[in-house]
Amino acid sequence: MNQQASSRSPRTQVHPHNCWYSVATSQEVGREPLGRRVLETGVVLFRTTDGTAVALEDRCAHRPYPLSLGRVDGDRIVSGYTGFVYDARGYCVHVPTQSEIPVGARVPAFPVHEDGHFVWVWPGEPALARLHPPTATPWLNDPGWATLGDEWETEADLLLLHENFGDITHVAVVDPYIAPPVLRSSPPPLEVEVTETTVSFSRTYQPAPIPEWQAELLGLSADAEHVQHEQGAFVTPGLWVDRWDVYVDTGANESQIHTFRFTHAITPIAPGRTRHAWRVSRNFAFGEQAGKVLLPIFTDYYKRVKQILETMQDVLDADGPRMEINVSADAAALQVRKIIRNMVAEETGMAYRRAPRSASSPRRR
Amino acid sequence: MIRPAQSSTSPPLREKARYLTGCRRKHLDAIVRIQTNGYGQRTRDGMRTMTITQTIVREHEADLVVHEARTVADGVVAITLGTSDGTELPAWTPGAHIDFVLNDDLIRQYSLCSSPSRPDVWRVGVLRAPDSRGGSERVHDLLTAGAIVRVRGPRNHFPLVASPRYLFIAGGIGITPLLPMIAEANAADADWRLLYGGRERNSMAFLEELAEYGDRVVIVPQDEQGMLDLESVLGRPRSDTLVYCCGPEGLLAAVEKFCENWPPGSLHLERFSAKPQEPSPEADSAFELVLQRSGLTLHVPPDKSVLTVIREAGVSVLASCLEGVCGTCETEVVDGDVDHRDSILDEEEQASNEYMMVCVSRCRSPRLTLDL
Repeated sequence: MNQQASSRSPRTQVHPHNCWYSVATSQEVGREPLGRRVLETGVVLFRTTDGTAVALEDRCAHRPYPLSLGRVDGDRIVSGYTGFVYDARGYCVHVPTQSEIPVGARVPAFPVHEDGHFVWVWPGEPALARLHPPTATPWLNDPGWATLGDEWETEADLLLLHENFGDITHVAVVDPYIAPPVLRSSPPPLEVEVTETTVSFSRTYQPAPIPEWQAELLGLSADAEHVQHEQGAFVTPGLWVDRWDVYVDTGANESQIHTFRFTHAITPIAPGRTRHAWRVSRNFAFGEQAGKVLLPIFTDYYKRVKQILETMQDVLDADGPRMEINVSADAAALQVRKIIRNMVAEETGMAYRRAPRSASSPRRR
Repeated sequence: MIRPAQSSTSPPLREKARYLTGCRRKHLDAIVRIQTNGYGQRTRDGMRTMTITQTIVREHEADLVVHEARTVADGVVAITLGTSDGTELPAWTPGAHIDFVLNDDLIRQYSLCSSPSRPDVWRVGVLRAPDSRGGSERVHDLLTAGAIVRVRGPRNHFPLVASPRYLFIAGGIGITPLLPMIAEANAADADWRLLYGGRERNSMAFLEELAEYGDRVVIVPQDEQGMLDLESVLGRPRSDTLVYCCGPEGLLAAVEKFCENWPPGSLHLERFSAKPQEPSPEADSAFELVLQRSGLTLHVPPDKSVLTVIREAGVSVLASCLEGVCGTCETEVVDGDVDHRDSILDEEEQASNEYMMVCVSRCRSPRLTLDL
């Protein structure tokens, strides 16, 4: 069961393979081949004539040349160097120099799931993909939500990103402008809920002001106080979903809830390198103008986060990992570590689970 | 925590406000109440008490509706559960189990035996067993279609580790956790066998589902063919095979004995109840308990468990069965010579001293430091 771990990468596996990871947006995948990397493996993406997204290993079986540098011909992809032709299942169907196809000539095909926004691939044991339904992020395609965002590579390990999402108390330190003022006060108790495969946390803040820029978008006074509710969920090693609700009284025991929903599709490119696609969805201030205000605010914030995580990775690379001091509020992040560690142990056939004494892995190219 | 099926209108459910759904004012009030109720109490002089809990960790818990309760063998009922509104249940992997919270002090664990590919339903198989407190009898009598039951979990201390070959051994109702394992091993094209023993054919559940696997499955009803022939399958250790076993204590003990000569880590088993412990030669002693993350030093007297002392200090720690069977309270050990008394960790895991079950295990050294 886990041939990919032994044959594709002889090195120690640190990230789960049996997981759906987002590798591109639906828009990015078309009739031109697109090359991406996930878990130290090249993936070429393209669409067949009926629009189905296909993901194959991005390396011709004949010579080590990426298929993404070739061309799509009908439902097939043609190597730009060897001229070998592969169908959508990865089987070689034509070679230029002979009429017979060499036995076993094929490239691995990855199970693909498309949800209208992202294209997800399953880099692990292909047969197991159908036992693990992809998680849904329907708000990204829902007209009831206005969504903005960006994606980039962060030179930091997947686990560092997870640990950052697992505790948002840093927001007030990293970017006081974006942070809701309540984050600067003593926080109310954090409720952490765990299952075998997921972790979520939530806390509700007593009435307090909201950030100035948000009050302005909502046409509210900056001094007005609102109950706010925060929720975050580690859904899989490839997906975090968070939300921030602001309750605005509309009288008669009713309130309207203005929500930001944050979606982080994160994909391990290699140890120490992660693709991060972030989306901020809102159910208020739909106008284009609001989007123009919000995009730079969030872009700036996530760029700062990227920089900080990359600096942490630099420290890890230079000085090595160390035993870290944790506090009670780290419960969610520690549970995420445990889930990921157990997933890797089970995939790699490790008989015993070992406690992670420190965070992340050094960078690999 | 069971509400039998009766009314035509579905009873109000204490469904958790999920991050995928909106949250109305009344839910908000409930959340605010939770937050101000019990936590952050103040003493008379206005100082915060020592028992403030800043982080409350709990397991997923929900009131689920019984979709169907079907007798699948003599004394065995298969119960299918879901949320009242059809929303998805938390994802799980083969070997996972859930708690039925039948009332505050009657909690029973049942392995999930549906497919992880169906996020809308869970299924468990329950044997009516003469149990001193009547857990399974309550399940059989009350959990009919439409009834509501409080469920906690899922959690998994019997995970399926990747391997080219598997030997599955089931005794009676112990078949339940193995069903999803077999489906996964089969999907991954592993080479596997199932040896399934039971009292008599009529008492053996899920035979129809297993029929599709053909001769990979060996059914051994005791009244027809006697006991499972463990010698033939376990007599010669193999380095490429993992053994997964679930069943009554007698079977587990026999399989453990056979696997003594197998490579470490080959045998994975799950118990229904606490493993019989040899009585400790000395009385339990007191020790100091350091909770590293919380920055607390506590005293564990001989007559209190580590879990009790942690909870009395107001630190949040998960626990469920309180007898070292379910694995919920597994806690990372930083330092200390742990006296393991659980039925989950195997010898090697116990020797590694990295985790302990704080509900039953204690400490031999004067000080125990935990990552809490």
